[in-house]
Amino acid sequence: MIEAKNLTKKVQTSEGELVILDDVSLQVSDGDSLAIIGASGSGKSTLLGILAGLDVPTSGSVRLNGFELTDMDEEGRAKVRADNVGFVFQSFQLLPGLSALENVMMPLELHGHGDAREKSEAFLGRVGLSARMHHYPKQLSGGEQQRVAIARAFASEPKILFADEPTGNLDSATGLKVIDLLFDLNKEQGTTLVLVTHEDRLAKRCRHQLELEAGRVVVPAVRAAVN
Amino acid sequence: MLAFRLLWRNWRSGEVKILAIALMLAVAVVSAISVFTDRLEAALIDESAAFLGANRIVESSQSIPGEWQQSAAEQFDVRQATTVEFLSMVFSDETMNMASVKAVSEGYPLLGNIELSDRPFAVDPEDITIAEGIPGPGEAWLDSRLLPLLEAQLGDTVQVGDKELRATRVLISEPDRGGGMSMVSPRLIMNAQDLPATKVIQPGSRVEYNWLLAGESGEIDSLIEWLQTQTTEHQEIEDLQSEQEQLANALDRGTRFLLLAGIVGVLLAGVAIAIAAQHFASRHVDQVALMKSLGASARRVRTVYLLQLLLLAAFASVAGLLVGEVIQRAVSATLSSLFPVALGGASVGAYGVGVLTGFVCLVFFALPPLWHLPTIPPLKILRREMAVRHLRTGMQGAFGLGAVLLLILIYSQDWWLTLSVFFSLIGIISIAAVLAWWMLRLGRQLGMHAGSIWRLALASLQRKPGQSTMQILVFATAIMLLLSMTNIRTSLIDDWELTLPEDAPNHIFLNIAPHERESISAILQQNGIPQDDFSPMLRARLTHINGEEPSEEMRERNGSLRRELNLTWSEELPSDNEIVRGEWWDQARINDEQALGGMSVEQEVAERMGLELGDVLTFSIGGLSVDVVVENFRTVDRNTFEWYFFIAAPGVLEDYSPVYRTDVFLAPDQKSVVNQVLLAHPTVMVFEFDKILQQIRSIIDQVSSGVELVLWLVIAGGALVLVAAVNASMGNRLQEAGLLRALGSRRKLIIGSVWTEFSVLGLFAGLLAVFGSEILLMSVQRWVLDVPMQPHYELWALGILIGTISIGLLGVISCRRVVTAAPAVVLREVEG
Ligand SMILES: Nc1ncnc2c1ncn2[C@@H]1O[C@H](COP(=O)(O)OP(=O)(O)OP(=O)(O)O)[C@@H](O)[C@H]1O
Ligand SMILES: [Mg+2]
Repeated sequence: MIEAKNLTKKVQTSEGELVILDDVSLQVSDGDSLAIIGASGSGKSTLLGILAGLDVPTSGSVRLNGFELTDMDEEGRAKVRADNVGFVFQSFQLLPGLSALENVMMPLELHGHGDAREKSEAFLGRVGLSARMHHYPKQLSGGEQQRVAIARAFASEPKILFADEPTGNLDSATGLKVIDLLFDLNKEQGTTLVLVTHEDRLAKRCRHQLELEAGRVVVPAVRAAVN
Repeated sequence: MLAFRLLWRNWRSGEVKILAIALMLAVAVVSAISVFTDRLEAALIDESAAFLGANRIVESSQSIPGEWQQSAAEQFDVRQATTVEFLSMVFSDETMNMASVKAVSEGYPLLGNIELSDRPFAVDPEDITIAEGIPGPGEAWLDSRLLPLLEAQLGDTVQVGDKELRATRVLISEPDRGGGMSMVSPRLIMNAQDLPATKVIQPGSRVEYNWLLAGESGEIDSLIEWLQTQTTEHQEIEDLQSEQEQLANALDRGTRFLLLAGIVGVLLAGVAIAIAAQHFASRHVDQVALMKSLGASARRVRTVYLLQLLLLAAFASVAGLLVGEVIQRAVSATLSSLFPVALGGASVGAYGVGVLTGFVCLVFFALPPLWHLPTIPPLKILRREMAVRHLRTGMQGAFGLGAVLLLILIYSQDWWLTLSVFFSLIGIISIAAVLAWWMLRLGRQLGMHAGSIWRLALASLQRKPGQSTMQILVFATAIMLLLSMTNIRTSLIDDWELTLPEDAPNHIFLNIAPHERESISAILQQNGIPQDDFSPMLRARLTHINGEEPSEEMRERNGSLRRELNLTWSEELPSDNEIVRGEWWDQARINDEQALGGMSVEQEVAERMGLELGDVLTFSIGGLSVDVVVENFRTVDRNTFEWYFFIAAPGVLEDYSPVYRTDVFLAPDQKSVVNQVLLAHPTVMVFEFDKILQQIRSIIDQVSSGVELVLWLVIAGGALVLVAAVNASMGNRLQEAGLLRALGSRRKLIIGSVWTEFSVLGLFAGLLAVFGSEILLMSVQRWVLDVPMQPHYELWALGILIGTISIGLLGVISCRRVVTAAPAVVLREVEG
């Protein structure tokens, strides 16, 4: 369950104050999915960062699975992220020095899972990369890298998955595969999905959409007719 | 263990390897040096013991008080023995001869060995045995040459005073034959129990009482401390420093150089560590951001990285200790096969210094560049362009300098040395930074008129002036340290070889009457021994300064006022002497019959006596007085055996009948020449330095090899810095070159521009290095090694060549993948 109320984000720049988010409120229930859409520069990534507890709003509040993120310090938010959150990013964010398997193992090891290796191998198999486990990111194509990133995100079985442009760098066929993968796992694990996207295809697969324009919500979240 | 696994994975990346190698190198350099010098010092203590026959000797003109010996035995854990030395006529059935008698007590010598033989002048080791005690009562051991002088054989009876002794063994060597009367007359060793029966020691006779002490250095030191409250003007405490100034000096310089080289090695390793750590940090920004987005707290991140570093340091330290040990052992092994000196064992502390160094390097060089990692905000994962707040470069530099300060202090325990090295470093670095910046600007102006390769290269340097300046500085530092170290090492070793050539005179014949010169020359010639000229010598006492007798207090302070002095005269200033005030002989004054004769005085003696130019000195020579005027002050080279405190102008002393000396080199198989000369000229005295010289040389050789070894380690450090620096900048370069190739540039152009860029960097660095090493070398010559300052032209060419070629090559080799791989592969790798 994500609940954001009256989020604003302002930053100081050399040309004065810049309002990136202006009074944004939203709510996503457990197991639900939300697409944040909008033009480039409209504040989508900023909103996602705040919802995930990576950043703090200038005003307003965020509740994530019952934790009031805006009342916490970074240490507290880190704990909440560790227990609840996974990420998939546009630019993959695989570590170049680690093999695909090691990349997937990293969060599990960080959280002290004993069966990091087995689990990681299973998830890499799930995204169809069993044969490429010991390859390094630079030896993988963009789509393969993104699948590794998805395996990594789901391997730690987060309650909420945040994804920023997960298909942004992929061709449409590969993008489609990745989207399918995301939603399959979403169904299997009951993961709440919050994703930022340009792609209609992807946005439509989500139960809710929220469109930003210059930091303001233009279309309130509505139930979309999916399939 | 997460940290262990992460470290293992990171190991695959170049910068961790460099970090580890640099750490290892620092530990290896320092532990090798400290263990080696430790062992050398231990060896020296043993050697000194061999020179003295003890750790310390209390020399006294009166017999050693019995209560001292008792206190020493009761309160301190030391061994002791006494010897009594005096000159006495020794009689045989046929004839008599002056001998230097030494009556020794049980336990003598405390350290070192007495060598005996049944055959006079034995040199063959098979003929020589080591004494297992002292001569029994009624026995005497005689120097080889004393037997023919007495026309006696082993087994004959000889008489010392009223006591008859049987000559049972030939004395080949004894440890404490250091100085004094022993050198002049042949030695006879007897048991102290027989001494009263000789009745030779009467009130007023000249006798030297020696109290030998040996034991753990702590015990000895506290005993000496106590003794110093007890001794009077009659006693003097001798240790190696006072006995063997030359050896102690050589060793002191050697260890200073090793120390300096060690600091340099560590500094280079430190720079490599810092660069590698920086590179490591920049590559780990993403990893940390990712870890934090996944919920790792700053503390967790800090722990994980700190643990990795500690693990790395632990492994590197162990490896460093092993490497250091191997090197150090290799050196001492080759040494001990060449020289008879056995190195002592090293203390644990010596190894500890190595490990300590590793950790200081880690904390001061590696930690600062990594410090910001835990503070990287997790949002960085979403916003790649977010700036990361580093510890400021100035701050990191400060830490590095702090480490240098700390390390020099740990090694030298000498604040003065520490601060002077430290401030010179700061001075050199800041001047060099300004120069490097300025050269880059100049380069751009020149580059505008150059061809495309040059433009490309210089533009690339210009684009990141900060980084380029930094790289020039780092390269320059490495080259500078290499140049200086090579040079100091060479001049140090040359200096030693110069002072101690293989055929340096090791015997001095003294007290030669004018008419004996010809016959002695003939003996030497027959044996094929080259000989220096005979130089004149007069025994004299300094009785008055400006007509006044020196005060009692002044006598106390100046040995030269208490004993007879050796005077000589000379037309030429001895080649290794240097005038510090006044002029060498004024010809007009020499020709002026009325004027007082001129005298040249060694400057330290002059200072102690408070002499001024123009002071009148009165010498008493064989009962006659002569006045001379002080014309100049002069330094002498105490590393040679021939130097005088007082040298007169020609014509001043010729009327007093002088005796002569001559210095010769005798190889071991030529030793019997001494006997031939002495048989023919019984009044001639001989000083034998061969054993001492040999020992000094072997110790110096050890230090030289140590110096050599350390230099190689320093060179390894320098190379590592270069590799680290090039490696760190490789990412950007690959990207640029990949782009250029993708845009259709030809390989030749890219290789050319890489080559040019690095060569220009190297050229600038070489220029700076030459400048820096000149400053460094001159200050080291001036203040550390205490040798005259001179420029080093050969370095100029060398520095510039090394800079341009080695860095150019290194650049091309590191970048060669850019041109050999397909552009697509390069670009893709860079992105990953
Ligand atoms: N720390 C900051 N300082 C200055 N400007 C910022 C900062 N963070 C965000 N912005 C600006 O706020 C605006 C919104 O940024 P954001 O990254 O959220 O947009 P976005 O909707 O994700 O765009 P895109 O689709 O291109 O990724 C942009 O104009 C960005 O430049
Ligand atoms: Mg965005």
